[in-house]
Amino acid sequence: MPEKNIREMSEQERKRYSLASRIFQSTIIGSIILGITALLIGLGMFSYSLVNQYISEGFSLSENAASILNRTVDIKPLSEAVMQEYRALRAQDEHTEYDPERFSSFAEREDYQTICSVLSEYLNFDQVEFVYLAMYDEDRSAMVYIADPDESEEHMMPGEWESVSEKGMKRFLNWDGTGRLYEIDRTEKYGWLCTTGVPFRGEDGAIRAFVLTDVSLVNVVNGMKSLFWQYTAGLIIIMNLFAYLLTRQMKRTVIQPIDAISQAAQDYVKDRREGNDVDDHFSSLNIKTGDEIENLSSVMSDMERDLAEHEEDLTRVTAEKERINTELTLANRIQTDMLPNIYPAFPEYSEFDIYAYSKPAREVGGDFYDYFLIDQDHLCMVMADVSDKGIPAALFMMASKIILSNNAMMNIRPSEILKNTNDLICSNNREEMFVTVWLGILEISTGKVTAANAGHEYPAVMHENGRFELIQDKHGFIIGGISGLEYQDYEIMLEPGSKLFLYTDGIPEAADAASELYGTDRMLDALNSEPGADVRKLIENIQDSVSGFAGNTEQSDDITMLCLEYKGKEQMRDQAEPHQK
Amino acid sequence: MLNINKSTDGSKLTVALEGRLDTNTSPDLEASLQESLDGVTELVLDLEKLDYISSAGLRVLLAAHKMMSKQGSMKVVHVNTTVMEIFEITGFLDILTVE
Repeated sequence: MPEKNIREMSEQERKRYSLASRIFQSTIIGSIILGITALLIGLGMFSYSLVNQYISEGFSLSENAASILNRTVDIKPLSEAVMQEYRALRAQDEHTEYDPERFSSFAEREDYQTICSVLSEYLNFDQVEFVYLAMYDEDRSAMVYIADPDESEEHMMPGEWESVSEKGMKRFLNWDGTGRLYEIDRTEKYGWLCTTGVPFRGEDGAIRAFVLTDVSLVNVVNGMKSLFWQYTAGLIIIMNLFAYLLTRQMKRTVIQPIDAISQAAQDYVKDRREGNDVDDHFSSLNIKTGDEIENLSSVMSDMERDLAEHEEDLTRVTAEKERINTELTLANRIQTDMLPNIYPAFPEYSEFDIYAYSKPAREVGGDFYDYFLIDQDHLCMVMADVSDKGIPAALFMMASKIILSNNAMMNIRPSEILKNTNDLICSNNREEMFVTVWLGILEISTGKVTAANAGHEYPAVMHENGRFELIQDKHGFIIGGISGLEYQDYEIMLEPGSKLFLYTDGIPEAADAASELYGTDRMLDALNSEPGADVRKLIENIQDSVSGFAGNTEQSDDITMLCLEYKGKEQMRDQAEPHQK
Repeated sequence: MLNINKSTDGSKLTVALEGRLDTNTSPDLEASLQESLDGVTELVLDLEKLDYISSAGLRVLLAAHKMMSKQGSMKVVHVNTTVMEIFEITGFLDILTVE
């Protein structure tokens, strides 16, 4: 396998590792293995049957010749005479050479002539090289010729001998008459020769001589050679043709469709990047191979269609979301602007200082604070919390805020403001929303706060130089629940230097990662860590403390707080000053 | 997380709440009550294992209270300190029958 990613390859490398070239290579390799195996088997069978045929022919020739000789002549005198002379010659000296003079008389004998004429008949048979009568000299492993009808240069005289392999001749000597006697040998002179033979036995059962037929296997070898070359040539041609056709077929049915799909995919990506609106990259391919590739193509086509639909949906949903987000942002701004948020809030009054802060948990919230002058001497303060959060709470909050401030401007007592508001809201509140409200009116000249509480958190008050403490004030029921309820007023006297802190449940109910609640104790501690600080700083201290407590935990409820510091009239402050020191 | 365990005894329905009843879980309780309040004349809310109730939860209680005041009665039992404190602050203590 190539180590490079296909995208990093050059055109040439891609060609080398392409499917087509791999199919071609595999086909060639497969064909070579198959071809060689078939060749070996073919050659083996060819040579086996041919050699077998030659052995069989040679052997029957020998048998035939032996039986004719048996009928026409007695070979015993000649063979015994020749062997006697031969032994005498070899006995003299192991290295003695053949002496034609000594044996020339044998060729003159009548029985020799007869034998030769009988045997010479067989020389005419196809592939028969030699037919002769010979005797084996066991002591010296030599084949001694007795009669050889051959008239060529290779003619052997009676008594002439040749060394032969001892092992092969053993079988000839010990033959029991069954099967065929043969020996295949490679000779320098004649190449591959197959020698078949039949023994002559005397009355005593001893072998007198063998009729031997040498059949040349040169045809077999040549046949094998030509078979090999023809086969190889044919194989190469067929192999290449086959590989070429297969590759061409694969190109048409596999590679071209895959290339087309791959090209379509590239175009798809390109068109998407460039923003071209083409949606039939895959469906226009028209691949009809009827197999997995057609399936792949139709799956890709389905995918393209589904993606396009999905994208359309996504665009629509995103646009919708964006629109809602824009509206929410706008709603948040409107809501924020509804709450007084310019500081210093009342620069013309030195008697008090006020600061407030609100942070909804979502884009818009249900908490709100409010403060406004009813007349020159009366400041109305509102801290309220609508049940639930988000858009429903925000809508309800807006209505509540307006109704409360309208009622407050009528210069009536806080309990009456709450009662009127409650009755109005209850008259048309099918959704069962409600709001908790703390509403107080500060008499600026005296520091007296008249307040009423409709189910809201306890306010915290710090009297001059003291500590912040919760006031367990008289509680009425929440606003919007049940109509006709009465609320009660109560008074808090704020001496110069006193502070009033109002908040919603988003502060005590802020949770940390372990779902533990912040609680009013922590809130009072944070206020009292720096009770003399100005109103803004006090609120910032609570903010820091709550966010430090909650850590990364998401703010679950709206957080709103308001702090009022009563300073009194200047002359009151002057009176109070020595007391402060 | 809020577990709502309902048990009916004739026309009496007891609902035991376990966990937190807040903005996220109160719609579950609202739906659950809406489907089973038909024909109920006595509704008992067992808040023994309720860890926390937010204003959204109070809204569901108020709706149930109004519904039940038309067709029978509703009472809240086993209120623990945390929830009791919220009931006190919001004035629910005066409206609901708490035992």
